Amino acid sequence: MDAFIRFTNQTQGRDRLFRATQYTCMLLRYLLEPKAGKEKVVMKLKKLESSVSTGRKWFRLGNVVHAIQATEQSIHATDLVPRLCLTLANLNRVIYFICDTILWVRSVGLTSGINKEKWRTRAAHHYCFSLLLSLVRDLYEISLQMKRVTRDRARKEKSASQDSLGYSVADEETEWLQSFLLLLFRSLKQHPPLLLDTVKNLCDILNPLDQLGIYKSNPGIVGLGGLVSSIAGMITVAYPQMKLKTR
Amino acid sequence: MDAWVRFSAQSQARERLCRAAQYACSLLGHALQRHGASPELQKQIRQLEGHLSLGRKLLRLGNSADALESAKRAVHLSDVVLRFCITVSHLNRALYFACDNVLWAGKSGLAPRVDQEKWAQRSFRYYLFSLIMNLSRDAYEIRLLMEQESSACSRRLKGSGGGVPGGSETGGLGGPGSPGGGLPQLALKLRLQVLLLARVLRGHPPLLLDVVRNACDLFIPLDKLGLWRCGPGIVGLCGLVSSILSILTLIYPWLRLKP
Repeated sequence: MDAFIRFTNQTQGRDRLFRATQYTCMLLRYLLEPKAGKEKVVMKLKKLESSVSTGRKWFRLGNVVHAIQATEQSIHATDLVPRLCLTLANLNRVIYFICDTILWVRSVGLTSGINKEKWRTRAAHHYCFSLLLSLVRDLYEISLQMKRVTRDRARKEKSASQDSLGYSVADEETEWLQSFLLLLFRSLKQHPPLLLDTVKNLCDILNPLDQLGIYKSNPGIVGLGGLVSSIAGMITVAYPQMKLKTR
Repeated sequence: MDAWVRFSAQSQARERLCRAAQYACSLLGHALQRHGASPELQKQIRQLEGHLSLGRKLLRLGNSADALESAKRAVHLSDVVLRFCITVSHLNRALYFACDNVLWAGKSGLAPRVDQEKWAQRSFRYYLFSLIMNLSRDAYEIRLLMEQESSACSRRLKGSGGGVPGGSETGGLGGPGSPGGGLPQLALKLRLQVLLLARVLRGHPPLLLDVVRNACDLFIPLDKLGLWRCGPGIVGLCGLVSSILSILTLIYPWLRLKP
């Protein structure tokens, strides 16, 4: 219970928990909707999803400042590719939070002259850009990690055996794919924060892609993606060493 | 900017900010009504207040666990009175949050058959009990500190040689006063007690903050339960002041009253 309280005392922790609930409702709704006799449950799930989604806006108010601070921090990254990608990603996040705040102002009824659809599309665009840039950074880090693993294995093989065995020429393409996937698996296994961040970004991007109509999936896929990314987010909050650090 | 990031990373801090905004809206709405502002603006403020109230209920989901954990910790205190007051206060707070969760379920449509009025009254009753326990604890702490302070003063006076006859600083001695001078002597005793109280509170800012916060908070359930109708203006002002004080205890943890 103590760990749960420490987790929920952080805004991020509570927000990720609510986000997981929201996307679970979306997924369950998609699974239960075609079944007969489940209308009441589906209606309750819809109400829960919408009230949690509205309530989560209170967690996002003021995150503009968080994103600005993250931009300032990412300017000081050592490598060029992460520096560029992260700075641009965080700038897009700043604009996304500004759009989100404007949508919040509209939803509480403070002003009425705001075109909700336009600002929602704008917010989805910038969220999508920031996720894409984060994925580019993840791919760069994965390639670095793969190079590192290859180097280490080559060094180990050189010191272990005198002569290297040659591979057969037949099935060269599948061999290459297999060894590539094996290398990818090994690199990610050695670097769990990178795996978590990549999975999180990949799952997160399904939502804006669906909203913008670029890759229309169904609410089930979006819900599942949101749930997985929320769980990944909760792991990074509960275990801070699993957060991908910027060098 | 860094301070805001660190502050808003605590979920309780965000909830307190929303509370301050909610009572500010309530106060603003009352002021606008008094000065005859447009009904459109009044409606907007009331709507914002409603959104804030519902949002806060969601932000508070899970606070029952926190209150129960605090009650569990308070059971191990050494002082009997403190142990009783703080544990009962936290238990009442846990029940208040549980009622609040039921109200949220009702308002968000999950449990539409929830009797909002009944559960709201229940939640305010538990809140009132918890505040009364807090104030009892504060009164006990103040009495302990006043006794400490007055005995320290009398020791100092005795040590300084001769001492004041009758030890008037302690205020504890009845003294064979003449019946004719009873009332002014009582007034003097009362004045000395008030001075001692002021001295104690000035020397212990966390205690002062806690007393003011609980006293301000007390008006809210008293008004909502109909025990002492003070009006939305007073309720809004008291709620705003107590929210600001609790935000201060979050920004400066040394201002929080430790058992």
